[in-house]
Amino acid sequence: MSETTPEAEPRKLAEEARDRVRFEEEALDLADQVYRVARRLVSTREEAEDLMQETYARAFRSWKSFQPGTNLRAWLLRILTNLNIDRGRRVQRSPDLQPLEEGDYFLYNKLEASGGDSDADRVDQRLSQDDTVAALSAVPHDFRDVIVLVDIGDFSYADAAQILEIPIGTVMSRLHRGRRILKRELAERTIGSGV
Amino acid sequence: MAPGLEVDPCDKCEEMMQPYMDKVLSDEERDEAEAHLDGCSYCRKRYRFEVELRQYVRTAVVEEMPPELKQKLSELRTPL
Repeated sequence: MSETTPEAEPRKLAEEARDRVRFEEEALDLADQVYRVARRLVSTREEAEDLMQETYARAFRSWKSFQPGTNLRAWLLRILTNLNIDRGRRVQRSPDLQPLEEGDYFLYNKLEASGGDSDADRVDQRLSQDDTVAALSAVPHDFRDVIVLVDIGDFSYADAAQILEIPIGTVMSRLHRGRRILKRELAERTIGSGV
Repeated sequence: MAPGLEVDPCDKCEEMMQPYMDKVLSDEERDEAEAHLDGCSYCRKRYRFEVELRQYVRTAVVEEMPPELKQKLSELRTPL
């Protein structure tokens, strides 16, 4: 049973409308940042654009389920990653169980061995933007998702765990392995096969 | 581990490098990593590379949102 008086009802509606407008404005202000992450979670620009529109349509519909004061960017990306999985856009893959012998110094050591030691630490002279984009795309989805969220999107391990609905330990282990796979892919593109 | 078989400090530093950069090591582990980096040019060079690499990847893969998409998103707002 409602306790609102007839006069209180319009005020409540006006407050709700104002909250909704504020929510929509804040969500739109974050769109550039959400897109940068979205773009690297999927393969093509078209997919990223579709996913953004579906995400924002859903967010605007369910704005009341967002808890003010919590991380809106993480909330939007949680919707986006769920939609991405629901729509079957992600190709199901078997886990990458190939042994990965390379350590964290792998790429540096390869660059040093291939081009003299003085250049190995000049990252921008040794790597190209296209190779880097291609190398990231070649990292299997499960590993790439955490790299994109943590290293590109600047999310904490805890936020990434919440967005992807996986335990924090899984975020850490995928990040560890994913970064090594990324370095292997970068080495293959930069120095050539046979690395 | 068998007695006398110590972990190579550079191997250990390599393992700690990413968590160190993510700032998730314990105070004790962080001190250990920093003490090693201070005294080891081999690991220090690689640490500098890792920092640069992460920054490079972050910048290289950025693709900005097309302006027309922002317009489309605005149009999804609830009409006033």
